[in-house]
Amino acid sequence: MRACACSSEAARLSSQSVLLCPSVREPERTSGRDFGQIGRGYNITTYPFSPKKSGRKGMAQSQGWLRRYFKAFCKGFFVAVPVAVTFLDRVACVARVEGASMQPSLNPGGSQSSDVVLLNHWKVRNFEVHRGDIVSLVTIGHKNRLVKVPRGHMWVEGDHHGHSFDSNAFGPVSLGLLHAHATHILWPPERWQRLKSVLPPERFPVPTSEE
Amino acid sequence: MLRGVLGKAFRLAGYTIQYGCIAHCAFEYVGGIVMCSGPSMEPTIQNSDIVFAENLSRHFYGIQRGDIVIAKSPCDPKSNICKRVIGLEGDKILNTGTSDIFKNRSYVPTGHVWLEGDNLQNSTDSRYYGPIPYGLIRGRIFFKIWPFSDFGFLRDSPNGHRFSDD
Repeated sequence: MRACACSSEAARLSSQSVLLCPSVREPERTSGRDFGQIGRGYNITTYPFSPKKSGRKGMAQSQGWLRRYFKAFCKGFFVAVPVAVTFLDRVACVARVEGASMQPSLNPGGSQSSDVVLLNHWKVRNFEVHRGDIVSLVTIGHKNRLVKVPRGHMWVEGDHHGHSFDSNAFGPVSLGLLHAHATHILWPPERWQRLKSVLPPERFPVPTSEE
Repeated sequence: MLRGVLGKAFRLAGYTIQYGCIAHCAFEYVGGIVMCSGPSMEPTIQNSDIVFAENLSRHFYGIQRGDIVIAKSPCDPKSNICKRVIGLEGDKILNTGTSDIFKNRSYVPTGHVWLEGDNLQNSTDSRYYGPIPYGLIRGRIFFKIWPFSDFGFLRDSPNGHRFSDD
């Protein structure tokens, strides 16, 4: 029985050492106690098998594995999360449209099916928007008939008049609040399309005497 | 030879993108170091002072009266302004117009703040362009780093009379 245990242990160790470093001879390890030693050319193990030593070896192996896993996790976390967050903030992200204020262009089905749009941040990185564009705004917080839109501001309206909380309620909006340009409808698949920039003819700017 | 150079170039680009993204996330969600220019916040902040700004307060609506904030300029969205918050939404603001007898008062609308520089004589602020939306605020300045002679937390407003509303 002893022979069996010894040979099986030795066989395992020698094969392991072949995988690790077949050409390098590892230095001899002495236990400090004078048991019989079996050398296999690459590894030396004490016989009878000292449970303490095997425990330490086993623990060292599992610790090494854990540390490697932890290092890989940290590396992935600190690379993937900032890159993903920066992409979603600066390039594009996806959002679901809620409400009826942009009917019939967006959400024509009402509450049954909400459209999913692509919000394009990259297109507005220089704050370039044109009349007719559909935009999304960072939330905030005029009752004149004709309003002059000041420099650096824009006037936004929902397509569905009367059912829209827009510049008719809160006045012109500062360009600095511009968040993204909604360019595509992504979901549901039958409504996959590119959103066109259309300015309704009755909403064109009114020419003033100064211009 | 060319493969080695290309490999190095790609690795450099990869590191640049990675650190750029980390820097963006750090400034956007935590805070960063900012250099201020202009005379509108003297004596609290002089021209070319370096200060530390934190961007956590605005996400949790922790901006209060008396805080110095960095905001996107309402006149030019690509530049930033640095002023003190005098009034939050619903506050009454004293408009010292042409004379002191006719004191106009206006209310700060919902979702807006009223900003003023500490150097009232030389500051273009809400007295000129009105209250600005809360969404334009990017961060709160609370600590000065440079010059060393002025190292430390920032002082309170020298214009205490602007805060009282009666």
